[in-house]
Amino acid sequence: MRIIVHTAKCQGHARCWAQAPGIFKLDDEGSILPGDIEVAEAEQLLAFRAARSCPERALEVDHAPAAQVELDAVQPTARQV
Amino acid sequence: MAPNPVPDHVPPEMVRDFSLFTSPGMLPTPNGDPHAAVACVHEGPPIFYSPYNTRDGQGTWVITRAKDQRRVLQDAETFSSHRSIFASALGENWPMIPLELDPPAHGVFRSLLSPLLSPKRVLVLEPAVRERAIALIQRIVASGTSCDVMKDFAVPFTVSIFLSFLGLPDHRLDTFVAWGKDLLHGDDEKRQVAARTIVAFIDELAAVRRKEPADDFMTFVVQAKVEGRPLTHEQVRGVGVLLFVAGADTVAAALGFDLAYLARNLKEQEWLRTEPDRIAPAAEELLRAYPTVQIIRVAKKDIDFEGAPIRKGDYVSCATMIANRDPTEFERPNTIDLARQENRHAAFGYGPHRCLGSHLARREIVIGLEEWLSRIPAFRIKESTAPIAHGGHLFGIENLILDWS
Repeated sequence: MRIIVHTAKCQGHARCWAQAPGIFKLDDEGSILPGDIEVAEAEQLLAFRAARSCPERALEVDHAPAAQVELDAVQPTARQV
Repeated sequence: MAPNPVPDHVPPEMVRDFSLFTSPGMLPTPNGDPHAAVACVHEGPPIFYSPYNTRDGQGTWVITRAKDQRRVLQDAETFSSHRSIFASALGENWPMIPLELDPPAHGVFRSLLSPLLSPKRVLVLEPAVRERAIALIQRIVASGTSCDVMKDFAVPFTVSIFLSFLGLPDHRLDTFVAWGKDLLHGDDEKRQVAARTIVAFIDELAAVRRKEPADDFMTFVVQAKVEGRPLTHEQVRGVGVLLFVAGADTVAAALGFDLAYLARNLKEQEWLRTEPDRIAPAAEELLRAYPTVQIIRVAKKDIDFEGAPIRKGDYVSCATMIANRDPTEFERPNTIDLARQENRHAAFGYGPHRCLGSHLARREIVIGLEEWLSRIPAFRIKESTAPIAHGGHLFGIENLILDWS
């Protein structure tokens, strides 16, 4: 899975970094470092969720992990408190 | 209140009788839920015109969809934030910096200040934040089984963090709280007096730090250079006043709404207490459900926006509490789901003016909740009391008396 980083759209919310600091790296101002990100298979779900947390839509997921399709189907009940 | 005349270019069918100031549920209401009350706008058109929707009674376009708010707030070329909100209370015209600057000047100041409040910098501030939370909560625990959350915890906690950031001792805390209260919630006269007092205070603090540098924010500002030049007195003032205004009320209000929610939902309260790892994502959901700010922009040129004929000079309202209840953005937006994933809420705005203090604010909220939940047993709203919640330019809650006897 690859994450396409639209650097110009990043406004430093840092939601990606908060969830997956090992995958998304920030500069001193708190904006994402430029360059697309290749995600290892074991980290795909984490990276996918972190990318989908971006309020500015600065992170685009190139190939969603297959596991996410299943997860979306069960999520409405599974995440009830 | 009598509505203002609607400008000629606004089609009559686009005018709606809605206001964050005067609609049902917006005035201070015992046990009120102003956030739920504004969610009703999603039953209507995505954009409409409200004839009375600012503190001083101006009309605004109201953008209800998160997607459209994103477009407005990301486009600072078309939608300006230069309103001199603070200075106008004094009959003056200077910007709070960087909030009321537009590009390209905005970016220069933003880059200067961002590192001071970056996520990594906030990690360094965390131990002091936690220490402050623990000290206040220990005092509350020692004094009984009930307290006024805003007075005893949320306000002193957030204001003291802001004071230490500015480099000021805690003993003036009550004075600052009073200034902030008059400025944000007082009548016109009180607001003006408070504004003058705050300006004089910031000017004096800047002068002191020029002579006697310290390891604090104001010293950084007076020593900073932008494009090779030190900041002017007016620029230093603009930065200092923004910090004062932005740090005063919002985080305390968020903590108040969060603890009120947990006091009314004991199962979820216990869930967070037993699984503290859930608190950080839960705090995001509470930020989605209970944001405090209405963001207003001014159109710099004529634009037809999603069917709305916005003209140069029109005010455009992007209320975070409205975007955050948008059913096209959030599944079941009026259900508070503390385990919600991919929570792209708008509590800190979108675009280049995204709240500069958001990382500190988030950690204050999470740490505040962690320490509260680990030290205070199952708490409820004290019997025969009612928290008073209100809408307006800054949503808030008062008289939140919690009891754990």
